[in-house]
Amino acid sequence: MSITDLTSMGEPQTEQRKEINERLRRLQDEISDYCYQCAKCTSGCEAHKLLELEPHKIVALLKRGLIDEMINSEIIWTCMSCFKCRERCPQKVAPVEILFALKNLAVASGKQIPGNYTAMLQSVLSIGLLQDVKSITTKDNKTKTRTDLGLPEISKPADPTKFQMMLSKIAVEKV
Amino acid sequence: MDNKIGVFVCHCGINIASTVNVKDLVDYAKTLDGVAVSKDYKYMCSDVGANLIKDSIKKNKLDGVVIACCSPRMHEHTFRGVVEAGGINAFNLEIANIREQCSWVHEDKYRATEKAKALVCGAVAKAKLLEPLEPSKIKVNPTALVIGGGIAGIQSALDLAEEGHKVYLVEKSPTIGGRMAQLDKTFPTLDCSSCILTPKMMEVANHSNVELLTYSEVTGVEGSIGNYTVKVNKKARYVDLDKCTGCGDCVEACRLKGRIISEFDEGLGKRSAVYIPFPQAVPLKCTIDKDTCLMLTRGKCGTGPLCVEACDAGAIDFKQKDEEVELNVGAIVVATGYDVLDPSAMHEYGYGRSDDVITTLGMERLINSSGPTSGEILRPSNGEKPKSITYILCVGSRDETECTWCCRIGCMSALKHVYLLKEKLGDDVEINVCYTDIRSFGKGYEEFYRKIRGMKTNFFRGRPSEVRNAGDHMTIDIFDTTTNKLFEIKTDLVVLVPALVPRADSDEFARILRISQSADGFYLEAHPKLRPMDTFTGGTFIAGCCQGPKDIQDSVAQASGAAARAANILSKKELESEPLISCVDEDLCSGCSTCIAICPYNAIELDTEKDGKSHAKVNEALCMGCGACVVSCPSGAMQQKGFKDKQIKPMIEETVKK
Amino acid sequence: MKYALYPGCVMPTEQYAYEMSIREVMPKLDVELVDLKGFSCCGEPIKSVNQMLTLTLSARNLAIAEKEGLDIFAPCPICHLALSECKRILDADPAMNERVNKFLEDEGLKYSGTSDIVSTIDLIHDKIGIEKIKKLVKKPLKDLKVATHNGCHLIRPSEIGRPDDSENPQKMDKILKAVGANPLDYPEKLDCCGGLLTANLPEAALTKTGQKLKGVQDQGFDAFIDTCPWCHRQYDSKQTKAGETVAAKLDVPVLYLTQILGLSFGISKDKLGLDLNLSPVEKLAVVGGK
Repeated sequence: MSITDLTSMGEPQTEQRKEINERLRRLQDEISDYCYQCAKCTSGCEAHKLLELEPHKIVALLKRGLIDEMINSEIIWTCMSCFKCRERCPQKVAPVEILFALKNLAVASGKQIPGNYTAMLQSVLSIGLLQDVKSITTKDNKTKTRTDLGLPEISKPADPTKFQMMLSKIAVEKV
Repeated sequence: MDNKIGVFVCHCGINIASTVNVKDLVDYAKTLDGVAVSKDYKYMCSDVGANLIKDSIKKNKLDGVVIACCSPRMHEHTFRGVVEAGGINAFNLEIANIREQCSWVHEDKYRATEKAKALVCGAVAKAKLLEPLEPSKIKVNPTALVIGGGIAGIQSALDLAEEGHKVYLVEKSPTIGGRMAQLDKTFPTLDCSSCILTPKMMEVANHSNVELLTYSEVTGVEGSIGNYTVKVNKKARYVDLDKCTGCGDCVEACRLKGRIISEFDEGLGKRSAVYIPFPQAVPLKCTIDKDTCLMLTRGKCGTGPLCVEACDAGAIDFKQKDEEVELNVGAIVVATGYDVLDPSAMHEYGYGRSDDVITTLGMERLINSSGPTSGEILRPSNGEKPKSITYILCVGSRDETECTWCCRIGCMSALKHVYLLKEKLGDDVEINVCYTDIRSFGKGYEEFYRKIRGMKTNFFRGRPSEVRNAGDHMTIDIFDTTTNKLFEIKTDLVVLVPALVPRADSDEFARILRISQSADGFYLEAHPKLRPMDTFTGGTFIAGCCQGPKDIQDSVAQASGAAARAANILSKKELESEPLISCVDEDLCSGCSTCIAICPYNAIELDTEKDGKSHAKVNEALCMGCGACVVSCPSGAMQQKGFKDKQIKPMIEETVKK
Repeated sequence: MKYALYPGCVMPTEQYAYEMSIREVMPKLDVELVDLKGFSCCGEPIKSVNQMLTLTLSARNLAIAEKEGLDIFAPCPICHLALSECKRILDADPAMNERVNKFLEDEGLKYSGTSDIVSTIDLIHDKIGIEKIKKLVKKPLKDLKVATHNGCHLIRPSEIGRPDDSENPQKMDKILKAVGANPLDYPEKLDCCGGLLTANLPEAALTKTGQKLKGVQDQGFDAFIDTCPWCHRQYDSKQTKAGETVAAKLDVPVLYLTQILGLSFGISKDKLGLDLNLSPVEKLAVVGGK
């Protein structure tokens, strides 16, 4: 009839689970259902020792449909996308891709975007790049620009208005 | 004058009757030209149904019968017996498949009934024109061939020999014994592997009905059930088997002694270029490895080959050549075994990167007292005793990127090693077992697992992501899902438990044997439940790990089963062959030989008559009734009995008309 | 050989040494680099926010190169992965292809999948070839014990088709052998620099960097060679700080592969931007000795 997580009184979000699996199938051709919890992903997870990310648990929670629990948690933002979990999974499940999908879902549902992501996003929206050109300091404290170093002018979107128009359309669409 | 036909419609419980209107179908059949009687019954394959058919044949003096029921694959054989018991020829029977081809695949009752009528109509048209056929008799050669001299092959050969059949046992390597000979003990009883294997090896080698062909490979198979012709290449051993006493003096004398990697010791030991794989080898004879022997690769060996000098019996013979022999047998048992996945495919686990990462079979050789360390457990890198040994299970097994299947022996062999290692190294040696699921499904296996759990072993439920070198030892990070903690294991010997895979040459060999493989590459059984030792090729059977990974007990059981299946054939003087084979209309045949080229069974030859005219002639013992010649024949001279053009064409016409 | 140079974001806005050394070395290897106008970010660093955005941005950049009929050289492994993955998805999924192209219409662009993508590693190893490298060496880097770092995105996930083997990458090592250096495997070789965490967890990112580099230092390597501007920013630009996270004084010369190739070809260190490296590159004889 129903399943309830008695530690949080949470219930599975079956529809969202289907949506994520569908998205993964589209983008990566991989879904989580086949995971048998060998935890090879977590044994080799670059973010586990420092930040306690447990990819196998993410997959298990997704299988159980407890999506809300994950998108409300900061833990999904600890993945450094090294892709070792995806590379080595014996069942071709890709926890890293599940995490990307969960983070997207968190953003889409209005959760706060952590850290510098907002600034990066804004920069891409306005000039097409993650950051603008910097003048940099050499080891002996001289400041140098691209021009000083004889590098050509940087490549950027030619018509920023059209570029921004395109990006804003994407923002309202779902994958 | 056409045959007088009876039509019998089966309800198959509700399988047919719930979709096809059986009464309607019976009434329709009565209207068809040539039909003398039409009846239905709930289960036509039951005794009552069979009697109904038999009585009707007698009462209505029928010449032919149409049964509308399930697929002919299911019950054609049964119904042929019934028809024959009714007093007419077994081949004057036509099945209209109204279950698989009608009721099971349709929902609309009306249209399904109409389709059933069309099928019955066509079947009646053909049944009216069927001719009585007599099966031809094939003489059976009572000799058997067993391919592969591992425990499965040995068991099959012994069973067949005991039944009184002559058996050829062909083994590719210099000795019989197979994988089991590499093992130290067997699970779960901890029997000494050689102690239980060696007597069997001796028994099969000395059995008066068995002819052993070691260092020999099957290179070609022709013919079919009851009469196979098999080509075997007896590879040159460069040692005269009659003269060699197996004393091993040449092995000691060989200039390359201790320099050739030993396959038998899984690369952990070295041998000479002339060698006996292990002390209990059968036959206990030397073999010269032509790929490494200096005389055979370079034509000279120092000032002269030391083996020749050492051999008092004068058995060394560098002039020996491969020899091809032909064997005539009635049945074949294939028991070619398995390979182990090369774990260097999974670079993250360090096999090939560190000497101290070995495989389960490698550990068997270390444990074994006739192995490279005389049974001492020593690290390959430095020859020291390990303080900590770590097992990683499921290496490449249950893995979508390597082998999707379970190896069925990995868990138990690792548990067995725990016991043996504790025995050898003392209770203090640290043993870690990284497992995903311990699969201890066989008789006595779970009890054995319980025993090991009580033996101070660290079980980690999880799978490491990699093995790292760390100077004089290795480190393994493992997330243990029983404690929800990440552990770092410092260890000095890692044992990988790799997947079992089909033999490297199994594709090629399947083609030689004309047998099928399943998607995983292992040889395919005719039915996974009911015909597990049969192949789709009559008279060829499979046993042991060539069919799929299994332990010794299952291999031996399957081997005895395969032997029994083979004996079924070999114990008959003659076999009845299906008479549904090709025949030639000699008046039409121009002798163009198209059919001869196309026949996969070499069953057709050109017959020249006195007047010089030649025509095709079918060897009824060889023809399998595949029909390839029939469709290739440009003049229509080739016809298949029971499926002649003049029988099939009216069938099609009537079906379509309806 | 002619390629459109796709610079990405990090290299052309701050990792100038990489760009300088590429522009010096590639012509020597008979690779003509074409600068195109209009490129944007590949989208990979903001994939966490919106994957559709990543996909479209990558398609957009590919479309710009397609217009000129050029294959793309993407020196940054992160860009290389984004572009390769985009190509893989759009070439296999017509519906997604159509959707993404709908977005591109605004700028008058169209993705059709005609351009190939190479990274620094496969361009040098597979396209140019080791033999050509060997011929250009003027100052062999004799006995220089180097640790190679490919960067995660360059070798994983292999399913997408990466320039080198995911578990045993050897191409960079072979390139370095060709110029006389002595690259050795080390246990941490495949580990992540943590760089992509800089956006939200910069301390953790630095710890990852520090841990790997400390391992390299403890094993006595003379230099650490990379090809990724994100990784290089961690290992070179932030080396001192990274050391603090693991309580170590790190002192490892970190160079781009193209810088060390340039040095062995006899190109002057100024042209290769070596004064922009903040790690102690002057420790190397080939840099220190004028």
